Amino acid sequence: MKTIQVTINGELYQETVPIRMLLVDFIRERCGLTGTHVACTYEGVCGACTVQLDGEAIKSCMLLAVQADGHRITTVEGLANGSDLTPLQTAFKAHHGLQCGFCTPGILMNMTEFLEKNPEPTDDEIRYGLIGNLCRCTGYVHIVDAVRAASKVAKQGGQDGG
Amino acid sequence: MVDNTRDSVSWLGARLARKEDLRLITGQGKYIADMVLPRMLHAIFVRSDYAHALIKGIDITEALALPGVVAIITGDEMRTHCKSMRQPVLTPNLPAKYPLYYGLAVDKVKFHGDPIAMIIARDKYVAEDAAELVVVDYEELPPILEPAEALKTGSPKVHEEEADNLMFEMTFTGGTTPEEQQNHAVEVEKIFQAAEIVVGAEFRVHRTGTTPMETRGVLADWSNSDGLLVYNTTQRPHIDRLAFADVLDIPAEKVRVIAPRDMGGAFGLKAPFYREGVVVAYAARKLGRPVRWIESRYESLMSIGQERGQVNTMEVAATREGKLLAVRNRGVADVGTGQIGVYWGFVMPFLGTVELPNAYTWEAGDISLKVAFTNKACLTPSRAFGHFPTRFAIERAVDMVARRCGLEAADVRRQNIIPKLPYTSVTGEYYDSGDFLKVWDNLMIQADLPAFRRAQLSARADGRYIGIGFGCGVELSGVASELMVPMENQPGYGAATVRLDPRGKAFVLGGDAPGGQGHETTISQIVAATFGINPEDIVITTGDTGVTPFGSGTIGARMGSYFASAVRKACDELREKITHVLAHDLGVRATMEEFAFTDGEVVYIRDTSKRKSFCEIVERIIMFPINLPEGEVGGLETTAFFEAAKPMICFNADMCTVEVDLRTGDFKVLKWLTSEDVGNVINPMIVDGQMHGAIIQGLSNAIFEEFIYNDQGQQMTADFEHYKLATAADVPDIEITYASTPCPHTPLGTRGIGEGRPSAVSGALCNALCDALSPFNIEITELPIRPNVIWQKLKAAGAVT
Amino acid sequence: MYPAVIEEYVRPTTVEDAVDVLGRYPGGEAIFLAGGQSVMQAIKSRMMRPRCVIDLQDISSLKGIAVNADGIRLGAMVRYVDIVRCAELPPAYAALRDAAQHVGDRQVRNRGTIGGSCCWNYLASCLPATVLALGGTMMLLRQDGHRREMAVDDFLIGPLETARGDDEILTAIHFKAATRTGSAYQKWGLLKDALPVVGVCVKVSLDGDGRCIAARISLSGLAAGAQRAPGGEIVLVGSAGETGIIEKAFAMIAEQVDAQSDQWANSAYRQQLIRTLGREVATRAFGRARGES
Repeated sequence: MKTIQVTINGELYQETVPIRMLLVDFIRERCGLTGTHVACTYEGVCGACTVQLDGEAIKSCMLLAVQADGHRITTVEGLANGSDLTPLQTAFKAHHGLQCGFCTPGILMNMTEFLEKNPEPTDDEIRYGLIGNLCRCTGYVHIVDAVRAASKVAKQGGQDGG
Repeated sequence: MVDNTRDSVSWLGARLARKEDLRLITGQGKYIADMVLPRMLHAIFVRSDYAHALIKGIDITEALALPGVVAIITGDEMRTHCKSMRQPVLTPNLPAKYPLYYGLAVDKVKFHGDPIAMIIARDKYVAEDAAELVVVDYEELPPILEPAEALKTGSPKVHEEEADNLMFEMTFTGGTTPEEQQNHAVEVEKIFQAAEIVVGAEFRVHRTGTTPMETRGVLADWSNSDGLLVYNTTQRPHIDRLAFADVLDIPAEKVRVIAPRDMGGAFGLKAPFYREGVVVAYAARKLGRPVRWIESRYESLMSIGQERGQVNTMEVAATREGKLLAVRNRGVADVGTGQIGVYWGFVMPFLGTVELPNAYTWEAGDISLKVAFTNKACLTPSRAFGHFPTRFAIERAVDMVARRCGLEAADVRRQNIIPKLPYTSVTGEYYDSGDFLKVWDNLMIQADLPAFRRAQLSARADGRYIGIGFGCGVELSGVASELMVPMENQPGYGAATVRLDPRGKAFVLGGDAPGGQGHETTISQIVAATFGINPEDIVITTGDTGVTPFGSGTIGARMGSYFASAVRKACDELREKITHVLAHDLGVRATMEEFAFTDGEVVYIRDTSKRKSFCEIVERIIMFPINLPEGEVGGLETTAFFEAAKPMICFNADMCTVEVDLRTGDFKVLKWLTSEDVGNVINPMIVDGQMHGAIIQGLSNAIFEEFIYNDQGQQMTADFEHYKLATAADVPDIEITYASTPCPHTPLGTRGIGEGRPSAVSGALCNALCDALSPFNIEITELPIRPNVIWQKLKAAGAVT
Repeated sequence: MYPAVIEEYVRPTTVEDAVDVLGRYPGGEAIFLAGGQSVMQAIKSRMMRPRCVIDLQDISSLKGIAVNADGIRLGAMVRYVDIVRCAELPPAYAALRDAAQHVGDRQVRNRGTIGGSCCWNYLASCLPATVLALGGTMMLLRQDGHRREMAVDDFLIGPLETARGDDEILTAIHFKAATRTGSAYQKWGLLKDALPVVGVCVKVSLDGDGRCIAARISLSGLAAGAQRAPGGEIVLVGSAGETGIIEKAFAMIAEQVDAQSDQWANSAYRQQLIRTLGREVATRAFGRARGES
């Protein structure tokens, strides 16, 4: 067991955890932030558990919770400010970027960072950026639409940014 | 976007942003794995390491001694304390072998992944520690893996108590008696003998499925007074409720099943009644504590979700002008163990064979199917239920005919597409309504085939190989009781309760259980349009057998066909009552049709000064039920049922273009275009989304995904490194167009859509690939289709060195 | 699914402390955790059951890319994303970026490290083969303070096997400065950016006339792990990157390698991938050596 301090969505959590506990279980089960999901076993391929660690998208099933000691994590619950959705969240709603919603939190966490790094992506870049997030419902079409709509490309083109 | 200024009528057909989304994009969805009850225990399964072995003994001593482990359940206990899974509510009315099985394997394991024991512990990590300590003494048996071998006389048997491995066999053409069928086969043979053109091949389709992102999960709780409460990832909570009662031998009124409001996709995988849920529920009752099992992806890929695996030996007779005459098909499906409640693995190939003739006018067919038990996971329902393999075969065969005739495959399709409905296919499938040619012609206008042929020629001059392919598909729009009762021993009707609230709000209760299709939004739009209120004022509850009317479940595109129709019927019954009372209050003699429900008001059309707000009249009937018209009583709530007399369908046609790199066989889909008859559309954005997802699933199935067993029957693809789902970078954009005909058999003219949609994809894709490579005469008859396969075909054809 | 019990977790701040902890456990019972994108798969599937995890994230000396006149030094904890973003990577080592920017996905590139990948040395991975073609020097530190340098050729032994001792840490990878040198890497997988079914890396150095004076070629995705293709290298030397010679080199390589068959590609197809990828990669490497972008 080890006592760790992790700041999640601005709130400090001090918890004593087994060393083997995965970060995703810490987030979901210790902190009750169940917006972060799990959809693969050990392979870390699906991306549903994607959160941001110090502002970078990572798969929280591929870290031990103890590795996050002293770090800052943002989960999907930390995106909106009260009822103010982020432009990306708004775009996902406006463009039907989700169906079952299981993969969606991971996609939002990855694409939020993606757009920070690449505010004017091409569709190809969006699609490559999404490789780490599997979706089974949408065929990705509306997801790409939503990310494009939330990007600067849409704003400059005067398109509906949601 | 939500636009609150819309008038009521335009809620139907509006691109309304989904009501479900706000919670899901802010992390407030509540899926099975998010549900926790006090004192909840965690379950995991110990599964078979072998495809086929006798269980000589199970030693749980060490595992049970591990601190934190509460109980371990094995097959013998399940056999002693529960009934078998072979209960009438789970067994179709079709003549098949239904193997006896229990919640856990007894005596023998029959596939790699067969559940042997369930560990219950306070912590899921500890449960896995304990699972490693369970020692199973196996006596290995040779696995039975190939259907052809399994069906040979004297083959070892998957199920000892059955006579052989032939689970199901049926001839779908020529009558009901063997003699009639035989005579018919002779007549069909005469057509083949006389035909100018006969094409054929053995079309092989691999095991693949639809793999929702959320795996299965069950959370069961037991109360000495209320009985069993099960939260279950299921598309069919009402069926499950009866099944839990029957298998666990609990009075049915003591069982409540709740499908979580948020389910992470289902696509058919969550339609069966699974044995794992029974063991979890049994444990909760035994221990008097909540027990939860969340399936791992590894278990999921190993034990469920595998469909399609089938070989169709098909021949087609045609004239030199491309007129299709007859189709002959011998299908063999590799069903695995056949141990999945309701579907038993063979119901999918059964229905897929019924659907084989597709949208073409055949003079005759000779179509039969054999289904073999093997030591593999049982086939599991997956979107495009059963007809992914038959559709691949028929769409490829049509292109083969076209090539032999030297005609455009598109023209051959146009010539043979059923021109007028209703129509009954050679297998007896009833196509109720629509206009196939309108859908097809719409596709061809947008496809601009002549322009493509010019581009193809100039590309070839540059050494580039592009191709165009077509496919089409008749899909079921819901499943009528006429088909459901024989096929699943269950009804097909839709049911909905609509309850109005004194504040003018509406509650809709439905017994189905959606998994991401946007029911809350679509149903809200229907109710809003019917009552002239806002979709935000409507609350939809599904999935809870404690409060919803009996529903057959979210399967087979039942939403736009059956559930939506039942909701509309219920709303109309309430409108009748509201207008009856309002006419009485206003002192006019008027029928329901003389009132308009619009913008929150109920208006007498003949004198629009006579009106009342919806809220007021509803409150008056519920809260102040005095001075009512004679015979009326207060209250506004009703349950309506919708049944279609005959099965209903929808129709689609697909075009895709591809480019193939001869050096590596790599190919890229350049464009995917569809034309759809989906009837009247309630929310086009949601319908688009269903089509996108289904088509990409079809592509991913056809190219990337494959469940593989090795020669010992070991499942080799039980993780996402090996079972490869398409990523966003691997698939094209999709362009959807509509050429719809309202369905005359539903109150809103809607059709159920999306379920069967992946099936047309593989044929269109492979037709395009073969078209691109037509200088080399390459025919694709096997899936998955991958660059290495194409390269090998090119090499064999001498196209590359 | 879930890791087996782990007794101890430490997060040293110096490499000396890191190897010190390593020494406290019998071989294999304590492991280093760098980016963890492969090791955690093994830990979660319980293929690995370490008693102690030594997390390297706080050791600043393992981080950073330094480019100077002598060459470049990549700390073992340099992540894929760091390589992708490194603007001053010279053309001689451009293959590093080719490889890093298509490893896995964004999330993996945000965590995975070059040192971790080389030490794990999975057969279907991009960085070991790339470092091999680039001729990197592996910098190792032993628990007793002994430092040694090792050519990557000696470091990579075979799949999941390296010459790093049980009591050693990989601290950095060095590449010597090279003029008129270019490199490139490309892979093929069934899905985009997936593990390579085959990957090819080429590095060539040219003389003033544009003739190749040295070539290194490596392959990934083959059953024997990252490997050189010396037969093809000899063919390239003396050439000016003519297509015919490049094709000849990779035809020879394809003939000579032992290419396995599996569900993704049979042996003949892997050989074909070597030929087609090799042609593209070598052409690009020559171009970069000539100073073309």
